[in-house]
Amino acid sequence: MVFSQTTLENAKAIAENCQGSHRAFCASRCPMHCDVIGYVNLIGEGKTTDAIKKIREALFLPGTLGRICAHPCETVCRRETEFNQPIAIAALKRYAADMADDESLWDISKKPQTGKKIAVIGAGPAGAQAAIDLAKEGHDVAIYEKLDVVGGMMRVGIPEYRLPRNLIDREYTYLTKLGIAINLGVEIGKDMPFNELANNHDAVIVANGAHQGFVPPIKGAETGGITNAADFLKSVSLGDKNLKVGKNVLVVGGGDVAMDCARTALRLGAESVNLVSLERMEELPASKHEQTGSLDEGVVFNLGWGGEEIFSENGSVSGIKLKECTSVFDAEGKFSPSFSENTQEISCDMLIFATGQRVQDVTGGALAQGGGSRYDADKDTLATSVDKVFVAGDCAGATIVVEAMALGRKAAVSVNRFLAGMDLKEDRDLDNEYSCETALDIPLPEDLQDLPRKHTRELDPKARIGSFEECDLGFDDETALQESQRCIKCECKQCMTECIMFNEFTQFPGMMFEAFLKDGKIEPLAVYSCNMCDQCTIVCPEDFKFAALFGDLRKDMVIANNGESPMAGHKAINMHQKLGFSKMFTTRKKGGK
Amino acid sequence: MSRKAFLPGCALPSYNPQAVEATIRHLKNIYPDLSVVQKCCGKPTIAVGQAEKFAERFAGLVEDIKYCEADEVIVACQSCMKTLKGCEDYKTTSLWELLPLIGLPKELVGKARDSDVVFSVHDSCSVRDYTGIHNGIRWTLAALGYKFVDPPGRARDMARCCGFGGMIVPVSPDIAQRVMRRRVDDFPTSKSVVYCAACRSSFMTVGADSWHILDLLFGDVVYENTPPPANVLASPLKAWGNRHKSKRLINTVMK
Repeated sequence: MVFSQTTLENAKAIAENCQGSHRAFCASRCPMHCDVIGYVNLIGEGKTTDAIKKIREALFLPGTLGRICAHPCETVCRRETEFNQPIAIAALKRYAADMADDESLWDISKKPQTGKKIAVIGAGPAGAQAAIDLAKEGHDVAIYEKLDVVGGMMRVGIPEYRLPRNLIDREYTYLTKLGIAINLGVEIGKDMPFNELANNHDAVIVANGAHQGFVPPIKGAETGGITNAADFLKSVSLGDKNLKVGKNVLVVGGGDVAMDCARTALRLGAESVNLVSLERMEELPASKHEQTGSLDEGVVFNLGWGGEEIFSENGSVSGIKLKECTSVFDAEGKFSPSFSENTQEISCDMLIFATGQRVQDVTGGALAQGGGSRYDADKDTLATSVDKVFVAGDCAGATIVVEAMALGRKAAVSVNRFLAGMDLKEDRDLDNEYSCETALDIPLPEDLQDLPRKHTRELDPKARIGSFEECDLGFDDETALQESQRCIKCECKQCMTECIMFNEFTQFPGMMFEAFLKDGKIEPLAVYSCNMCDQCTIVCPEDFKFAALFGDLRKDMVIANNGESPMAGHKAINMHQKLGFSKMFTTRKKGGK
Repeated sequence: MSRKAFLPGCALPSYNPQAVEATIRHLKNIYPDLSVVQKCCGKPTIAVGQAEKFAERFAGLVEDIKYCEADEVIVACQSCMKTLKGCEDYKTTSLWELLPLIGLPKELVGKARDSDVVFSVHDSCSVRDYTGIHNGIRWTLAALGYKFVDPPGRARDMARCCGFGGMIVPVSPDIAQRVMRRRVDDFPTSKSVVYCAACRSSFMTVGADSWHILDLLFGDVVYENTPPPANVLASPLKAWGNRHKSKRLINTVMK
């Protein structure tokens, strides 16, 4: 069937620009594009099992992420941008996981075996996600992990009071259910040379994480009693019996890791914990929740200060001289702290630097390391200069768990293409593989009210510093219900809420016309079920003239059908029209003289 | 003074020929040279996509208007309004925006002062942008003495379709009825007033009592316990009978 140029042009404009396909702000910012609106509203409808199924379509560790995800989604939630009261998306995810994540719901289906062998270095979130995606494609996947436990930095970087270890182990059983071999206690580069691993596999993904702590070169830093966050938190997590914590601990750093160190030190018996950071309160990188948790537990914040000199007594740290930091970033936004002449001294007998972590090379120099010690790789594909070797996670520039997972997925997409002999970049939807901006631009609901965010229950701060017991207790049923119902569903369904017809034939007009252009046909019943009332256009943020397009489609269909409507029901109209124009029923009477 | 032609359209003559006759009598009192043309404007053909047939049919109507030597057309149908608006040869005026300018027959003013009915006003979605029409309908109701309300947020430029539009009734009767039902649910009161006979038929189809504005203008005063006129348009035989009757009445009154 032939369609007119006008029809095709208007259909194309709708197919390309209809906001119905635009992701919500939250799902767009999530690097894994979890369907936040979907699961939050299922919780709001009391359908917790359906909610966890929805979450699991994107995330294999909902209980873990529900607890420790830095939730970039919440920073772009419209209740945040409008009222500073974002939906507690992560906490709702945890609620669904805690209430309904039955293993029988887990999708362990896989494509037929391909016979391809893939090695993944590192059992952190990036390696695990890559392994899952590749196993589901039918490949034979083996993970090699230096530690004797799974989880990577989630396991040895995030303290147990935020993330119970049994939960990580349980969620990681998904990997073994998929047939992924997890080789623990195997350090590539030491127990097995990298080249040997590469030679024995069809592809390798390097995701060994950024486990190397870092102590900045401050005068006096070579004395005893000084450690870095990565080593400190790892020792605690692995139950190092030789670990001794000072009485008066000072942590340098302003991110979540610094908060983790400070709160961990309190739990290990420190009498005082001071936290020093260059950033002041309003620019502190740590999440608000962690800041509050630290302050509640008695951590003393010294914000806007940087280390000048470390003092020691008897070969061990006794204090630090600080100078006042006047600005952290330069005019171009680059990290370039400036200081005033003001100084202060704080005594301490243990100093922990939470000032960044580095990637330790496991490839024996096969991969070059660039800025921030990350491996050099193509940022779009994560392919390296070495054939069949890809990188993911912290090694590829991730800074939070969910980003690491997305990079794991991206590496897996590349490996799949590589194994299939496809170009790594051609027709690749890169926006789908990481955080992206959404073009969604819809008005707020007219009756929208500023309803305050609900908070989860927590252990009393005094009680919780006595142990590593989980201190956030999550939502109860009623609060979860109330919180989820605050979601304003930022999707463009403007016309879909107005038009009964559209709902019969599509999820949104863009989808209908994209299919039309692709298939070169459209269901006549849909075209002839439009009331042509323009109610859709009134609410469409793009002001699309759907009725006019259906009108043009009808004209095309009539031409293709010998001048008649293709709908049988319209046969009577011919008779009506004949009568309506016949002398029997018409008249013209000229007035006047 | 311009020469005017009144076009009652199709649905109105098929529904209420007496109202057509009464309207002509009233208009003739104001415009003694009034002409009248009863013929379809061709809207149904263009609605189903028959562009060529529409051109032919519309030309037929234009020929009749030319025959009457009219330079201004007064329409009672919103589809005619939209169809003729595109034709630059004539000024097109809606009967509903004209009434406040020419007034009602004196004896009818205030006749419904004692009525206990509160009508919900249904605006035709095809004339959402015609504020003059919306105002005219409300002016007429007020002049008659009727009480009325707007469907909250769904009146005038935000009016929703009655369900009859787009010739969907014979194609998707289920969708059409759901649209009809939804529109009725917009109404704050149980009785509605419309200015399109097809809209009225839609609401009657889903069991909602509805009156055409001309029913109220020329008919008996409606009270809360007054039953609505029958859904004449649901019966093709009666509808065509009425249309024929309308033609005869026009011919008589225009003699």
